Amino acid sequence: MKVEIALDALPRMLAGIGLTFQLLLLALGIGTALAVLLLLMRISGRWWLSLPAQAYCYVFRGTPILVQIFIIYYGLPQFEWLRESVLWVVLRDPFGCAVLALALNVGAYVTEILRGGVLSVERGLLEAGAALGMSSTHRFVYITAPLAVRIALPAYGNEIISLLKSTALASTITLADMTGIARTVVAETFAPYEVFISLALVYVSLAWLIQRSMHRVEARIGRYATRRAG
Amino acid sequence: MTGWWDDYLWAALTVAKVFVCSLVFMVVFGLSGAAAKLSSSKPAQAVANAYTVFFRGTPEILVVLLLYFGSAVTLTAVGRLFDPSIRFLDIPPFWAGTIAIALVVGAYATETFRGAFLGVSPGSIEAARALGMSGLQTFVYIRIPEMWRLALPPFGNHMLSLVKDTALISIIGLEEMLFVAKQATSTTGKPFTMYIVVGLIYLAFSTLVTGLTMALEHHANRHLRAPT
Repeated sequence: MKVEIALDALPRMLAGIGLTFQLLLLALGIGTALAVLLLLMRISGRWWLSLPAQAYCYVFRGTPILVQIFIIYYGLPQFEWLRESVLWVVLRDPFGCAVLALALNVGAYVTEILRGGVLSVERGLLEAGAALGMSSTHRFVYITAPLAVRIALPAYGNEIISLLKSTALASTITLADMTGIARTVVAETFAPYEVFISLALVYVSLAWLIQRSMHRVEARIGRYATRRAG
Repeated sequence: MTGWWDDYLWAALTVAKVFVCSLVFMVVFGLSGAAAKLSSSKPAQAVANAYTVFFRGTPEILVVLLLYFGSAVTLTAVGRLFDPSIRFLDIPPFWAGTIAIALVVGAYATETFRGAFLGVSPGSIEAARALGMSGLQTFVYIRIPEMWRLALPPFGNHMLSLVKDTALISIIGLEEMLFVAKQATSTTGKPFTMYIVVGLIYLAFSTLVTGLTMALEHHANRHLRAPT
C-alpha cells in the first residue's frame, strides 16, 4: 500500500464527480416523474392502466441494471428506424443511454416505494375528506399525497443511495465517471488497492452525505409530528 | 438465435452456480456480522459496523473490481517470492466475483439478521431456560426458527439482489450470459435479440427466486393459519 498513489489518484478520480452527479440528478428527476405517472396508473383502478404499470415494474425490477444498460446501448442500434428517428440524439450517446437506463430503473423502484406510502394512508381520513365533499382529485392532492410522501421518504432516500451506486455502471459503456477514471488509473499504475479503496471511501462519504440530508428533509416534513420542547 | 441456445444454457448454469455459492457466503457473512453486532465485544462491534458502512455505501462493481484485481496483485507478489519468472497470477473470476457480491449483500443481510434476532420474543427465551435448555439448544431450537420467520421477507430481496449482481461478474471476464451475448452479437450482428435473451433469462431467474421466497414464507407461517 502506497499512500502517494492514492493521493495522486484521488484528484484525478474526483474530476469525474461532476459526471457522477449529472447521472444521479438527471436519472433521479426523470425517474421520479416517471414513477409518479406509473403510480397514478397503478392506483387508477382501471386494469388497462394498472396492468401495464405492474408489468413495467416487474420487468425492470427483475433484471440487472447492467443488462438494461447493454440492451439500450448495444441493442437498440440494431433497429434501422430508430437510428433515423429523433430518439437517436439520445441513444447514440453513451451518456444519454446511461441516464435513460438509470431513469427507467428508478421509475420502477420509486413506483413501489410511493405505492407503499399511498397504501398506508388511513382509510378514515379519506372517508372524512369524502364526507366533507372533497372530490377524489382533491382528496389525493390534499390528503393522500402529503401523508404518502412523508411515509415514503426514508425508502426514497435509500433509493437515491442505490442510484448513486448504480451510476458506477456507466463506466462499462465508456463513460469517464469516477469509476471509469479509476479503472483507467488502475490500468496505468496497477495499484488496485490504493485506487479502488480510496474511491470506495469517496462513494461511502457521498452516501453518508445523502443520508444526512435526507434526515434533515424528513425532520422538516415531519415537523408537526415531533413534540416541541417546553 | 439458432446455434446459440446451448451457449446460453451453459452460461445460465454458470449464473445459477454463482448464485448458489454466493448465497452460502452471503448467509455466512450476514450471520457473522449480526453475531458481531449483537455481541458485547466492542472491537467486534466496531469491525462489523465498519463492514456494513463500507459495503453498503460502495458500488458493487467497485467491490468486484477491487477483489479481483486486488487478489491478483497480492497473489502475483506472493508467487514471485517463490518463482521470479511468474508474470501474472489471479484467483478465478468465478470465486472473486462470487465472494465480492456475497460481501456486498452480506452487509445488508447483517442488518436483517440483527433486527430479526432482536425480534425474537424474550418470553420464548425465558420459557426455554425454564425448560432447562442449554444456550446452544435455545439458539438452535428457539432463536433460529423464530428469527428465520422475521428475516424471510427482506432475505428474499437479498436473494434477488444476488441474482441481479451476478451480471457484474462479466466485467472481470467470467464467461456468463453477457459474455455469450457479446460473442453472439459479433457473429450475427443482432445485438438487441442477443441481449434481450439475457434479460429474459434473468427475469425467469428472478421469478423463480420470488416464487421460492413466497413458498418459504408460506411454510414458515404455517402455524398462523387456521387448521384445516
